[in-house]
Amino acid sequence: MARRRSPARLVIALSIAVVLAIFLLYTSIAGGGTPALSPSQLVGHSGKVQLGGVVVGPVTGNAREGGLRFRLRDRKGSANVAVVYTGSVPDPFRVGREIVVEGSVRGGTFVARPGSMVTKCPSKYSAASSKQH
Amino acid sequence: MPELGRAALVVSLGLIVYALLAGAGAAATRRRRLAVSAQNALIAAFGSTLVACVVLAVALVRHDFALTYVADHTSRALPTVYTLSAFWGGQEGSLLLWLLVLTGYGVLAVWLNRKRARDLVVWVVPVIAGVATFFSLLLVAVASPFKTAPAPLDGAGLNPSLQNPYMVAHPPLLYLGYVGLTVPFAFAMGALLSGRADERWIVATRRWTLVAWTALGIGQLLGAHWAYEEVGWGGYYAWDPVENAALMPWLAATAYLHSVMIQEKRGMLKVWNVVLVSLAFCLSIFGTFLTRSGVISSIHSFTQSSIGPWFLGFICAVTTFAVGLILFRLPLLRARTRLESLVSREATFLYNNLLLVALCLTILWGVAWPILTEAVRGEARVVGRPYYDFFLRAFGLPLLLLMGIGPLIAWRRASIRGLGKTFAGPALVTAVVGVALLVLGAGSSTPGLVAYTFSAFVLATILLEFARGTRARHALSSESWPAAFSSLIARNRRRYGGYVVHAAVVLLAIGVAGSSAYQHITDRKLAPGQSLAVGGYTLTYRKLEETKRANANEIRAVLDVRRGGDSLGTIKAGKNAYSAPAGQVSNEVGIRTNYLTGEDLFVIAEQVDEDGTVYFRVFVKPLVNLIWLAGFVFVLGSLIALWPDAREERRLALRYREAGVSMTAR
Amino acid sequence: MTVALVLAALLAVACVVAVALPFLREPVARLDAISEPDAIGRRQLDLAERRDRALAALKELEFDHRTGKVSDEDYRSLVGPLRREAAEALRGLEPRAAVSDAGAATPAARGRPTE
Repeated sequence: MARRRSPARLVIALSIAVVLAIFLLYTSIAGGGTPALSPSQLVGHSGKVQLGGVVVGPVTGNAREGGLRFRLRDRKGSANVAVVYTGSVPDPFRVGREIVVEGSVRGGTFVARPGSMVTKCPSKYSAASSKQH
Repeated sequence: MPELGRAALVVSLGLIVYALLAGAGAAATRRRRLAVSAQNALIAAFGSTLVACVVLAVALVRHDFALTYVADHTSRALPTVYTLSAFWGGQEGSLLLWLLVLTGYGVLAVWLNRKRARDLVVWVVPVIAGVATFFSLLLVAVASPFKTAPAPLDGAGLNPSLQNPYMVAHPPLLYLGYVGLTVPFAFAMGALLSGRADERWIVATRRWTLVAWTALGIGQLLGAHWAYEEVGWGGYYAWDPVENAALMPWLAATAYLHSVMIQEKRGMLKVWNVVLVSLAFCLSIFGTFLTRSGVISSIHSFTQSSIGPWFLGFICAVTTFAVGLILFRLPLLRARTRLESLVSREATFLYNNLLLVALCLTILWGVAWPILTEAVRGEARVVGRPYYDFFLRAFGLPLLLLMGIGPLIAWRRASIRGLGKTFAGPALVTAVVGVALLVLGAGSSTPGLVAYTFSAFVLATILLEFARGTRARHALSSESWPAAFSSLIARNRRRYGGYVVHAAVVLLAIGVAGSSAYQHITDRKLAPGQSLAVGGYTLTYRKLEETKRANANEIRAVLDVRRGGDSLGTIKAGKNAYSAPAGQVSNEVGIRTNYLTGEDLFVIAEQVDEDGTVYFRVFVKPLVNLIWLAGFVFVLGSLIALWPDAREERRLALRYREAGVSMTAR
Repeated sequence: MTVALVLAALLAVACVVAVALPFLREPVARLDAISEPDAIGRRQLDLAERRDRALAALKELEFDHRTGKVSDEDYRSLVGPLRREAAEALRGLEPRAAVSDAGAATPAARGRPTE
């Protein structure tokens, strides 16, 4: 028995409501993402953040033993922060390249989450930025 | 010859603007000669753009470094094929390619429909010209490929990891897809502008949409394959904004392909279809914008990009135009028929659409989140892989299930009892497979298990469809089984082509589930002679090899591979240190593919120390090669669905003749 | 450099000619209106689409029934309304068919799409 009023509207409305509910539930539990900051903005952030900047030498240490140490500065500006990173290092990594790492500040140094480094491709045609797991 | 190139682009711009204004005027006042003139202008614009392209191509091949574009993207040592592919390697060249493909498609679309849909075509020309105006303006005023400067001795060259056949084919295919979505959009707008409520615009653009959608899909698979082999971080998709940029219009186009079928069969969802095709088009422009300007990380980089604001302005203009036109023509689009039952194929298509659009919009939200948060809070926030993975599962898994349910339900209405009979077989197969998988240990990942089980269900329904159809055909016409099978497909190309495409999606789902949910990873530092074990394989590091080539120093770690007790040969992984561009290092991963099981052994030599010890990261990725196989099946299915059907052509010709559509002027 | 300019000039001229062509061919046009279906033609098209849709739906129902997707009782309940729709659409086209084009008003031309 076909209904007078199309059930399509009801279905659409309900489905949108369900999708929104799933979305809101997820974001309320998982939070609204991590802040993406540059070194000058790090002040006051003690939790997990995503730090982006330009690599400043000297680069010392070993990413697989003890940690790779370098400094990261703002793209425009000189504010910089010491970073220690362990894990896979993408090939384009070098002094002067722009990278992004995730982690948090501990005792004046930014301690990166292992394997979280992503380098931005310098060419204008940005193919997928090389990323490790 | 850069002056010729620049002049050709200016001529193109003039022609395109003329096509826009004259075309719109001719359509509004119904003047034939002016309309033909506008059409000619579009054709001439294609010719003029082609001239500009030839100029650029010749400059590339002749290493004319006076052109900054050539100097920036090629070098003397670069192989010719990559020199040519540098055409679309940079911003200006890719915009030029966009314009070429757009004008080319425009000419083709107009020519193919000159008899049947002349009253539509008069409006399609100005819409395509309108879109082309934007790109043409950028090329002339903002991002010219023909900028000159004192020529350096040699060019900057191409990043070695981009010197790869996949990277040659990937951008043009994506562009065929992006631009291809403009044609259905233009026809939809044309239909609305001309006040036509008939389905000719859908019939005219059905194959266009399919071709664009296939190109976009294959382009993405090529990009993923490149990321897997060349970038070599162990995966094929990182939810990078640039990757999402192509996925979003593809999802919208997938939804559109399905909902258009409902409009064809039931005359419903007219408003939804124009909205969806506009969304797909806007997302393709947005996608071009994202890849070209690398903007999404923050507002600061956004305002630094010279073409960013232009693109945003264009997207706003297009959205306003489309929304306004749809609202204006809303009365025309009211459907006469209604959804009769929540359990019908129309309803499953509706659910499919809702899920696809939901997934598309959540990805869009994730991509736009940094800009939104920075605008509102002053601090940009980003979402990571877990966000995308969650929604891919939340919406993608039900979609997978629907792919199996949809084909088994009839149009209009299906009774629950009838459904029970139809689903009994596949459900049983699925249950058996599910239990078997659990026994085999697939329970380690719930989403993986669900994906596998749903995939089994869909495959079972597809096989059932082919089997039942062949049997019915065999009974009807007493042909032999193979003949019945091929005539079944020949007579129902769209249906069975669609099933083959569904099979491709299932293969993709199985490949993705296997290689992500059930992969094994091990990191270990090895000295020569030491071994590591992962996923059933044992790898023993033997030695380091160094090969000096013309442009690079190749370092490879050689490992012996064993599984069980059998030796499987060696695998090499390492790095290339390039001399030009100096200092550049690229990762060269070792992949060993087991063609029988589709499994890959994937070795990355992450760090090579002076003492010869190497830090290895090894993956075992089950079923990953099904993803690439899916690409071939995908193309096969699309070809079947696209194939010209003489019967259908005759039917359409008859319909239009009866309606007197190819009548001469009154 | 001059070669480039000459070529550019040639290109520009060719394009202008292409654009002006319709006006050059017919300086004074008898009929300058765009041919498009009139109200009758549009209605015909609409009815033809409806007829094709109904006939295609019937054909698909038969096929689904034969392959076993649609059960006998579902088939019986669905086929009636579909046949009525198709008949209605055919009826709607009938009086017009005789008027529009003599050639097309044969039963074969109007009939079901051939199997």
